[in-house]
Amino acid sequence: MTRSVEVAFAVARKDLTSEWRTRELVPALGQFVVLALVIANFGFQIDSQNAATIAPGVLWLALVFAGLVAFGRAFAAEREQASLEAMLLTPASPVAIFAGKALAAALLLIACEVVLLPALALLFGTPLNVALVAAVLLATVGMAALGCLFAAMVARVRAREVLLPLLTLPLWIPFIIAGGQAVQVAMGASGSYNQAVALLIDFDILFVVLTSLAARFVLDD
Amino acid sequence: MSTILAHQLTQRFGPDLALDAVDLVLDKGEHLAVLGENGAGKTTLLRILATAARPTSGQLELFGLDAMRERRRLRALIGFVAHAPGLYPALSAAENLEFFGSLHGVGRARVAETLELVGLADVANRPAGRLSRGEQQRLAIGRAVLHDPRLLILDEPDASLDSGGADLLARVMHGRSAVLATHDHALANRLCQRTEVLRSGRSLGAGTRLRVVQ
Repeated sequence: MTRSVEVAFAVARKDLTSEWRTRELVPALGQFVVLALVIANFGFQIDSQNAATIAPGVLWLALVFAGLVAFGRAFAAEREQASLEAMLLTPASPVAIFAGKALAAALLLIACEVVLLPALALLFGTPLNVALVAAVLLATVGMAALGCLFAAMVARVRAREVLLPLLTLPLWIPFIIAGGQAVQVAMGASGSYNQAVALLIDFDILFVVLTSLAARFVLDD
Repeated sequence: MSTILAHQLTQRFGPDLALDAVDLVLDKGEHLAVLGENGAGKTTLLRILATAARPTSGQLELFGLDAMRERRRLRALIGFVAHAPGLYPALSAAENLEFFGSLHGVGRARVAETLELVGLADVANRPAGRLSRGEQQRLAIGRAVLHDPRLLILDEPDASLDSGGADLLARVMHGRSAVLATHDHALANRLCQRTEVLRSGRSLGAGTRLRVVQ
């Protein structure tokens, strides 16, 4: 167990160090989410009346597409460099390797959210509070687990850019529904925040366990 | 107990037969050269021996263990140099080895020792992406011996190496069993006791050292 945790942290540290030095992904994702918010700001004719209704939808759209790029790169880069096989030909557990990749991809998406959430508050005039941040972070956990599993699956096929959204988006819908409700309530709409967050936690546990079980078969074919 | 005991290894990729019922035995400490033209099945055979691929049919035992069932256990005993170096270009040479060392449970002292062994101690802090192709190959060889494997599988490791490459290969193969795929008959002759020639996925038979005919 300790060994697996060490491996997972080593993999995550390696991915984050590579990203820090190359700055390939996070700046591009940051620009993407800001541009998405700017376009939505003009496209939806936002005012103080409708901001709290429209902003959560815009937030999840930006997050979902940024996530697809972040998780897709997590395994595509390994395949291109032929380094995934080198990792898998060690005695390290494939589940630990997967967990490390998912952890790094989730942290990269969180870095993107650090830009996204203040930009949303600035452009849409919506509140930025702990409840909102917690809901987004909880959704990120499950989305990262699912996104990385499918990214690992499609990394070896040619049409991976098309396949990844087709496989991932349907399974992200529960996070978007529960997360959307939690964010709406955090922004001032009526509803049960606790119920939505409890659902997010349930989905996180369910999908983290399922993807961990599946990762072994996906990676160590 | 043989290091490698392969019986009727066959690999199909769709309708193509990449490897056709190959038998192979390698004893402890023995060095075997696998020769053959491009597309002969050398890489397919080596990938199966390295547990990177599963054969369509046939049996493979490594160190007396079933290679299909005991893959993770066997991977601690095998070092594999593939065609592509498979390195992280943004990480330095030392960081690359430290990372793979952490997957193998190997300490930093061994990393420094390995960098010295493959002649990369002077460029240890240079990003792998800025190393020359030959240096990257040396680093890939270093990664393969980092955990001190008992069996080394080398797929055309000499392709990018300079004139000192043969000496390096002799150093890393010393004291362990090895399978070396190469086009260089002189290198095979120098480093290996036996040869196995493949053509169109079939074994043309094994031999002892080659005789170079002028």
